[in-house]
Amino acid sequence: MTAATTSHSASATSATSTTDGSDGSGGSGGLKSADAPPGALRAAARRPAVRKLALLALIAAVLVPVAAIRWHSGSWPGALTVDVSEPLGRTSDWIIDNRDSHWIFLYFFGHISNAVIVAVRAVYVTLLALGWAGVTAAATLLAWRVAGVRVAVTAAVSFAACGLLGMWVPTMQTLALMAVAVAVSVAIGMLLGLAGGLSERTYRALRPVLDTMQVLPAFAYLLPVVLVFGIGVPGAVLATVIYAAPPMARLTALGLRGADAGVMEAVASLGATGRQRLLSARLPLARRELLLGLNQTIMMALSMAVIASVIGGAGLGDRVYQALSAVDVGKALAAGIPIVLLAVVLDRTTAAAGLRLGMDRDTGPRWLRGWYAWAGVAAGTAAVALAGRAAGSAGWPDGWTLAIAEPVNTAKEWMVDHLYSGVPVVGGTADWASGYVTYVLDPLRGALQGLPWWSLLLIVAALAWLIGTWGTALTAVLALAAIGVLGVWDPAMDTLSQVLAAVAVTLVLGFATGIAAARSPRLERLLRPVLDICQTMPQFVYLIPVVALFGVGRAPAAAAAIVYALPAVIRITTQGLRNVDPAALESARSLGATRGQQLRQVQLPLARPALLLAVNQGVVLVLAVVIIGGLVGSGALGYDVVFGLAQGDLATGLVAGAAIVCLGLMLDRVTQPTARRPKKGA
Amino acid sequence: MSATETGAKASQPPASGPDGAAGAPVFSVHGLWKVFGPRADRVPGSSVADLPAEELRRRTGCTAAVRDVSFEVRQGEVFVVMGLSGSGKSTLVRCLTRLIEPTSGTLHIDGEDVLAMDKARLRELRRHRAAMVFQHFGLLPHRTVLDNVAYGLEIQGMGKAERRAKATEMVAKVGLTGLERRRPGQLSGGQQQRVGLARALAADPEVLLFDEPFSALDPLIRRDMQEEVIRLHHDEGRTMVFITHDLSEALRLGDRIALMRDGGIVQLGTPEEIVGSPADDYVRDFVRDVPREQVLTVRNALRAAEDGERDSGPTLAPDATIATAIEAVARSGGPARIMDGSRLLGVVDHQRLLAVVAGLRVKGAPA
Repeated sequence: MTAATTSHSASATSATSTTDGSDGSGGSGGLKSADAPPGALRAAARRPAVRKLALLALIAAVLVPVAAIRWHSGSWPGALTVDVSEPLGRTSDWIIDNRDSHWIFLYFFGHISNAVIVAVRAVYVTLLALGWAGVTAAATLLAWRVAGVRVAVTAAVSFAACGLLGMWVPTMQTLALMAVAVAVSVAIGMLLGLAGGLSERTYRALRPVLDTMQVLPAFAYLLPVVLVFGIGVPGAVLATVIYAAPPMARLTALGLRGADAGVMEAVASLGATGRQRLLSARLPLARRELLLGLNQTIMMALSMAVIASVIGGAGLGDRVYQALSAVDVGKALAAGIPIVLLAVVLDRTTAAAGLRLGMDRDTGPRWLRGWYAWAGVAAGTAAVALAGRAAGSAGWPDGWTLAIAEPVNTAKEWMVDHLYSGVPVVGGTADWASGYVTYVLDPLRGALQGLPWWSLLLIVAALAWLIGTWGTALTAVLALAAIGVLGVWDPAMDTLSQVLAAVAVTLVLGFATGIAAARSPRLERLLRPVLDICQTMPQFVYLIPVVALFGVGRAPAAAAAIVYALPAVIRITTQGLRNVDPAALESARSLGATRGQQLRQVQLPLARPALLLAVNQGVVLVLAVVIIGGLVGSGALGYDVVFGLAQGDLATGLVAGAAIVCLGLMLDRVTQPTARRPKKGA
Repeated sequence: MSATETGAKASQPPASGPDGAAGAPVFSVHGLWKVFGPRADRVPGSSVADLPAEELRRRTGCTAAVRDVSFEVRQGEVFVVMGLSGSGKSTLVRCLTRLIEPTSGTLHIDGEDVLAMDKARLRELRRHRAAMVFQHFGLLPHRTVLDNVAYGLEIQGMGKAERRAKATEMVAKVGLTGLERRRPGQLSGGQQQRVGLARALAADPEVLLFDEPFSALDPLIRRDMQEEVIRLHHDEGRTMVFITHDLSEALRLGDRIALMRDGGIVQLGTPEEIVGSPADDYVRDFVRDVPREQVLTVRNALRAAEDGERDSGPTLAPDATIATAIEAVARSGGPARIMDGSRLLGVVDHQRLLAVVAGLRVKGAPA
């Protein structure tokens, strides 16, 4: 036991206090720090980090022995858990029994559910009525009108590819589901955003809720929705709405609040009424944010609409889900490619609409402007749709499909035979996977599950407090404790171990690439399109290639999580380093600092907020995919959710879902820099 | 060309001054206070009201942006409020249309109590009677130049064709014809401010309020815009309240100038009074570098004519500047006669003129 090292570093202090505690003699930790030489102590006490840790050690010294004696160390004590599965099961049974009779279902949820079904059905029928020619023409013309020729070509090619892959009908199903979900999300998001943008009090109440909703993994939203609406399209749409509305709400509020004060004052000085100020000035001034919100909402809706296949949303996601369950990579890829194409088209179109705002488009012949152009889009679509109908091909022609499942599966077999193991020098992918599981995941999981429960609480408190405020620390500790209370400590530690290992890999790779990209503009140019595509793709799609490479289990989930989180980390790191005050860098250079010194002593310290944000984003994104990894055999909490859904055992699923929420909250708060920024990887 | 125009303008404001003075006050402000901070309404008239700004903030947590300000803006004059940043001049002009609600005092426009107006009446005031031009323009970036100019008319409920016609007229008046379909982002700063000016003019307001309108512009553009304002005032005789921190701008444009410091008015007078007889050391310091011969008139150098001087020598009007007189005296080599119509007021000679330029007190000269 190293005495009196409290003064020097944060890690030393926390190590002292925790090792002290594990002997059951935690009281000495606090005492010993008081015994430190007065000079060193005073110097240390001036540093806020040390003060926080000293206070924490004091609290721990009092509480830990009590807790350790009262309950045992090791895993979360059984005496402190509350069995919620029985009441949850009863609730779920009651809902199932009363779904057709109780008034709240008949007159409230029932109407919502029916409205959703009717709306999705209507959109779907419209899409089918337009036929493949009409839909492709509509998408192309819209993209041309909003985003220009290049995106229009992309749209045409993408829709044709969906048909070619034999996925026309599922693509239309997904589009119909998404269209309804996006419409509802935008309506709800705009209303919330208006409330938040116009009233300071509402904004302050709304913001933490929206912030928290944005960091929770998509899986967490599935079960409560299923509980009320059951498996099926309404549940899928509503889960999507819950997931996709927050960005619209927060960006609307942000845009309205950020309106140029000078313009607003000028408008008031001209005698505008409150309504006129909102409609003719404040809303138009926020157009950029509104379009960005629309873009994010569409991307998140697509991401969730695909995941919602787990709770009965038909379409592309369902095809991927079915194929993955049978480990049929070829079929999964055939359904996955349309998802990616859809994502790219939707993202480019809405993003370009936002970018073009500032520019003057009122050039060119009159029939290309304003309402004339929109009418042209509608007329062109109608003409092509009618022509398609006349030619007698509403659905995608059967002869025009390209069966890629077989060749892909052949290629995958070849990979299994040749790449899984026995590749000279580097080994095989299966070898890597098993190595990662044996040497990284297993020891880490063992350590987390073996650590005394209260020491984990202490570590989380210390980390969250050092990086954030006492408020974030308290939330983090309570969230972790809630996991224990729910009785899912062990699977949660399993998930946590997967997250931590994947985050470590992500950060090492991400920071290295980010630093390299910040120093070399050429590398950044090369990376940019890759990162753009990667950040556009829904989480679900990442599972397909990793299953091909690594089979099923915890390793492919980790690989998918790393690949998913990497782009955001690289991008934030690069931007953070690039945005370092050039004057500071120049002065360092003028003093003769080497490039290494510039990086270590100027760029990295000044980019600290960006790096912390990168860590935060990395953790949040990795968690989301690790949870979804439950679909490809990563076990733990994600599997519990899938299992609960598949078996109709909603209690197990709900508890796991709640634990995921708590884990997400805890991980976000632990890595949350004091001033958080509105940023979310798509 | 601009030089001759400037010469003509320089003599313009005093000429319009007398008929302006005859009119009733447009704005009449009395004992106006604006205090920011907690329980601001308790500060005016209390014992802490006269404390320096720093002391006041320490004692009450409040900042007095406008302190006990009284003045009248006469019909048809250009009333300039000038002061350094933080002197409260921008707050003051916003109080005039209650964009910022004054804390206490009285405020009348054409005899009507502005502070007693309800919302609808206040909107009516802003829509038809007082329009404002802002330092950072405050244009709507998503509208064309024409629609920006027409915006004020639009919110008044004017029909599209009518307001467009009116706006086109205003755009022509400020010299932007041909740019109607541009967006503000595509214009230079000077052009944007012309749009702001056209927008204010479109409603045909009784008073134009300018809040440091040219501070964000380049010096040459600024001079252009000042010419524009002088021209507008000359053509239309509209009452203007003009806020600036630029002394030369104040002297160029102002019929009367209110000099503000720490929220209060230090001196209120014509440019000649401010430069010729500063009220205190602060004002004296302020006007130290002003070219006095450009601002002061020959009245300041007047002496009684002696016998030989009554009938010969060049003649000048009493509101001619010292600079003009110097030129006349230098050309003729003798004193110049100052004639008000056919009446001889006195003469100025080189000695007197030099004394005024040097800032010496001249014996016998009227204060």
